[in-house]
Amino acid sequence: MRNRSLLVLTAIAATGTLTLTACGSRASNSGSGGSGSGSTTVTIGVDAPLTGSLSALGIGIQNSVDLAVKTANKTNEVPGVTFKMEALDDKAAPQQGSLNATQLVGDSSVIGVVGPLNSGVALTMQKTFNNANLVEVSPANTNPALTQGPNWQTGTKARPFASYFRTATTDAIQGPFAAQFAYSTLGKKKVFLVDNKDAYGVGLVGTFKDEFTKLGGTVAGQDHVTSGASDFSSTVNAIKSSGADFVYFGGEYPDAAPLTKQLKAAGDNISVIGGDGNYDPTYVKLAGTAANGDYATSVGAPVESLPSAQTFVTNYKAGGYSQAYGAYGGYSYDSAWAIIEAVKAVVSANSGKLPSNPRQAVEKAMSNVNFSGVTGTVSFDQYGDATNKQLTVYGVKNGVWTTIKTGTFSG
Amino acid sequence: MHELPQNLVNGLLLGATYGLIAVGYTIVYGIVQLINFAHGEIFMTGAFGALSVYLGLGSGTSMWIAIPLMLIGAIVTSTVIAVLTERLAYRPLRNAPRLAPLITAIGVSITLQQLVWGFYPSAKSPRVFPSLPGGPFHIGGVLIQSADIFVVVAAVISTLFLAYFVRSTRTGRAMQATAQDPDTAKLMGINTDRVIVIAFALGAGFAGIAGVAWGLRYGEIKFDMGFLTGLYAFTAAVLGGIGNIYGAMLGGLVLGLVQNLTAIYIADIPGMSQFSSQSWSSVWAFVILILVLMVRPQGLLGERVADRA
Amino acid sequence: MTDTLQIRPEAAAAPKPAIPLPTAAARAVTAAGAVLTAAAAFLSWTYSSQFPGDLTVTGYPGGLQWITFTGGLLTLLYLLVGYGTPGLRGLAPGGAEGTTVILAVGAAATTWFTLIAISVELGGLANLTTGGWIAGIASLLAVVGALGLPRDGQHPRGHGLGVLLYPGKRPDLRPARPLHAAVEVVAVLLTLAAALGVFAYGVDTSYPELFAGFLILAGFAAWALNRSGDFGRLGEIMQRHRVLASVGAFVAAGLFPFTQTSSNAEANANLGVSILIFAATALGLNIVVGLAGLLDLGYVAFLGVGAYTAALVSGAAGTAFNVQIPFWAAALLGAAVSGIFGVLLGAPTLRVRGDYLAIVTLGFGEIFRIVVQNLDGTSGPNVTNGAIGISNVPDLNIFGFDFGSAHDFGPFSIGRFANYFELMLLFTAIIVLVFARSADSRIGRAWVAIREDETAATAMGINGFRFKLLAFALGATLAGLAGTVFVHVNYSIVPDTFQFAGPTPPNSAFLLAAVVIGGMGTVSGPLVGASLFFLLQAKLSFLHDYQLLLFGITLILFMRFRPEGIIPNRRRQLEFHESQTEGGQEGPTPELRTAEA
Repeated sequence: MRNRSLLVLTAIAATGTLTLTACGSRASNSGSGGSGSGSTTVTIGVDAPLTGSLSALGIGIQNSVDLAVKTANKTNEVPGVTFKMEALDDKAAPQQGSLNATQLVGDSSVIGVVGPLNSGVALTMQKTFNNANLVEVSPANTNPALTQGPNWQTGTKARPFASYFRTATTDAIQGPFAAQFAYSTLGKKKVFLVDNKDAYGVGLVGTFKDEFTKLGGTVAGQDHVTSGASDFSSTVNAIKSSGADFVYFGGEYPDAAPLTKQLKAAGDNISVIGGDGNYDPTYVKLAGTAANGDYATSVGAPVESLPSAQTFVTNYKAGGYSQAYGAYGGYSYDSAWAIIEAVKAVVSANSGKLPSNPRQAVEKAMSNVNFSGVTGTVSFDQYGDATNKQLTVYGVKNGVWTTIKTGTFSG
Repeated sequence: MHELPQNLVNGLLLGATYGLIAVGYTIVYGIVQLINFAHGEIFMTGAFGALSVYLGLGSGTSMWIAIPLMLIGAIVTSTVIAVLTERLAYRPLRNAPRLAPLITAIGVSITLQQLVWGFYPSAKSPRVFPSLPGGPFHIGGVLIQSADIFVVVAAVISTLFLAYFVRSTRTGRAMQATAQDPDTAKLMGINTDRVIVIAFALGAGFAGIAGVAWGLRYGEIKFDMGFLTGLYAFTAAVLGGIGNIYGAMLGGLVLGLVQNLTAIYIADIPGMSQFSSQSWSSVWAFVILILVLMVRPQGLLGERVADRA
Repeated sequence: MTDTLQIRPEAAAAPKPAIPLPTAAARAVTAAGAVLTAAAAFLSWTYSSQFPGDLTVTGYPGGLQWITFTGGLLTLLYLLVGYGTPGLRGLAPGGAEGTTVILAVGAAATTWFTLIAISVELGGLANLTTGGWIAGIASLLAVVGALGLPRDGQHPRGHGLGVLLYPGKRPDLRPARPLHAAVEVVAVLLTLAAALGVFAYGVDTSYPELFAGFLILAGFAAWALNRSGDFGRLGEIMQRHRVLASVGAFVAAGLFPFTQTSSNAEANANLGVSILIFAATALGLNIVVGLAGLLDLGYVAFLGVGAYTAALVSGAAGTAFNVQIPFWAAALLGAAVSGIFGVLLGAPTLRVRGDYLAIVTLGFGEIFRIVVQNLDGTSGPNVTNGAIGISNVPDLNIFGFDFGSAHDFGPFSIGRFANYFELMLLFTAIIVLVFARSADSRIGRAWVAIREDETAATAMGINGFRFKLLAFALGATLAGLAGTVFVHVNYSIVPDTFQFAGPTPPNSAFLLAAVVIGGMGTVSGPLVGASLFFLLQAKLSFLHDYQLLLFGITLILFMRFRPEGIIPNRRRQLEFHESQTEGGQEGPTPELRTAEA
């Protein structure tokens, strides 16, 4: 019996002492704003799909923001402030976006967020960020309703959230731009409209249709396809019998490529024109020779024509990222840089120090941001939309996308 | 004005592909009363099997040599996978309540899809599938691609072969016996386990052929192409009368026609113009399924095993 | 069923321990190992504070070290129980030695998980300090000692799972004499508090490594407590104080937001409300799948019907009907509309054959999304605003209580998501009540009868079709009810949410998994399954690319090896028990299929 109680006693004593020593508190060295020493660390959050089928785009966003943060730290862009990036994966799902938004809001060092990729995700995040006055800059959302309110089409524009900005160009610009190109440059007057029923495609076709009919063109027919479908034979037949000059497609290349392929195979050799969702090398790969003669609009000037863009490409390569910056890399870099510029303005207005409530100040400063970024001049209008309205038309020639025309949308 | 003959042909071609897949549902259901949800994925793996063979052949190979090899590749891939899933997932549950194998089938379906998505090279986006040379042919104002001819030939030969097999071979008669009464069939000396495996393998073989047909017609295959297509194929099997092989083919053809024609001609019904587009066609297919269940639950040709369950 | 309590013939006498040690030496080694493991948590394990949780500090544990610490203490506790320490003896009615083995392995597993994670993330074993090595070796020492302990419990032969059976099975326990009522009440309250604490800790884990470590230990601890018989005893006590336990459970859940004081409070409350919505929906599905035995593969569409209905009458700008009705009416309307859809879908299908329901619901799930996408004004009448969805759904305001803003309750500040958490908890309580009341009623017994043998049930005068339709419609109604809150929490609704198998809950496949993994036919099963499932996918985001694959495999394995789920239905468990004595292992009666044939 004696050794038994001894065992018990030692055990209790050991654990007791150990527990007592545990009553210390761990020093928190995770960077939160307002520490007394020289440099304050602030975080730029990223919300994008980092896994799943859209991960290539999401990781491009993450890396580009990372590059912006590193560049700002290297050049000591904002004296006394060190930037940090924190990326969260939203899996392209609105629910996860909502969770990420609360998490970013909860982290007091987060001073601005770049993202998300999907409009549906943005809908669940906007209000949470807005309640916390946390700036959110999307590099990719194109739905005009996000900045101009649900009734933007009827002309009653109202900005729903003061904290939401975007560097991406909206459907309200890209669709009409394509309409002007088709009507004036190509001289085509009869369109067949197809969309794939996702938010991007529907928005694009809607704005295209309005502008095209305003210019005097006619809509020979319209069809809607289910995203992910393979058999477009009924659509192809409808296009053929409508006698349209060209097809305007709203959606992404996985749906557009089989459509154009089946259309050309059916003997109807008319151009398919789409938005930046089609402007992807995979489009040409999937559609093969059928892609020749198709067009796509994309936002901004071609990378090779802007020196700032070339710097970005060089730096990105030098950064050693294993994945490409993708379609939204430039916009993500500009989004992050816009936040950095806003922080800079706030700090210099507050005699070189970050104010105690920096989020609100940064939100205010965002509207005055103006700098020359990867995609051109970056600044925001009264709705939070990018003022840069430069677009480029690309066409498939001999199996590669080539620049056709760069222009600025006006009106 | 909408080129009715062309639409009819397109619908029938789509339907023939559904029919090829539906045969697999119908045989398996007829024998073990299991809705094999993974069958759509078997179809998909068949297509990827064919693509792997094609990629392995090198670029100079003539399609006339490649096609038979791809067919073999597709059939072998889908059959092996189907037999493995039967062995590993379904057989241990043969005496479990019905819910268990159904849930397992869902699990198998998702697993197969994710395996292809995650581990087949660049299968995260659609993969280009080779196309047949020659064509298109104009026959009486209707445009026919060479892949379409492949579909017709494949569907006709497969159905005839299956009919012969089930009616005239020993194994085929054993299958019929097992479908009617597994216990008695066992007493009569039929190895029902073997019959069930053969049923799975047969269905998978047809799914493999359908996979090749699909790839040839649309020029691309993707990891999730089996999900909705499988759903339509099952609808086709129910339409035709589950357990009935000819019914599956007929159901497929009807469903293909419904999908193709509703996408265009619903617009001619007054007040329905908005409901006619490709994006509504799957809804109409579903409505047809519900209507058939209400009006003629045994299907168009009637079930072969109507008195069961 | 007390007559089945005798030990089954194939359960031979307990075999010898794996490591031949004198019992006293084994105890000493285990004790030393366990104490050292716990003590090593106070040392520094690595040089670099790069690893999350900062394990470089000597003097007190941090992050994953707390998990190791807990594991060591638990091992020690049950070792002492097995040693017959006064006052602790009642803690392991089913045998403490097997429990100790499980806990020692669990502690070692979390410790080594941490060490491996450090090595992998920081690049090489060189990143481990002496403290880390001490912890690793000490935890293995405890395992070695535990493997030398005499073995107890039952060791039935003829199972293929080998090493998992080493700790033995818990012997069938006779129900214990009730303790003093006050003691039992305290036990119930302590259990609830502990459950709340464990759950809150799991939710608050801020990085995947910590959550994984937590999960490993929690899993082993749950296994150990089941093995020791503590769960069984607690279950008996809970059963005796059923009202207290269930009310207490809801109170404990309601206190969850108050346990969250860090800056992550809102994020955790958001996670909590998402889990609740998911769990409540899974519970509704359990009526259909678990009680009535009908497979519904498009269940999330009913959540969507409720959500869209509520959104349309919420007064959100830009919707088709510009109306705003009070939330209680919207909730009822959402539930009703969803129920109507259930009847419309179930009536033609259930009349034919149960199997068809699976495929029809699968189709409905897909069709729902497509239809909602199309009802946007160009390819259909404008009802749902198509793919763009309904945005800016206003926050609720019930009796002047604004759900959109934070409220102060004494020292606690309860934010927006916490408000919704409490609301959803109320809804969950309603759904639990509906589930429990209907399961225990004539209706519930009819469902179970139909599930087990429809032919026999019909022969007993049960109208199979009517009861199946009732189950299906009731399930749809409850999902619709959950959907009405869902839309307000998320401010918006888009069609893409409603998929068969998507990346995040709720989607039909995950709902089904929550039911199957949790336990078909029980109240707590889907709740536990849903929480576990949700936390797993939310916390282990690095697994996301393989999440669906793992999920598919999990479904297959569960159906094969544990079809009754983590928390089995008592009635089903008894059925398994009966079939076991007949020689069949798992899976209910084989006569079922012949009856249907």
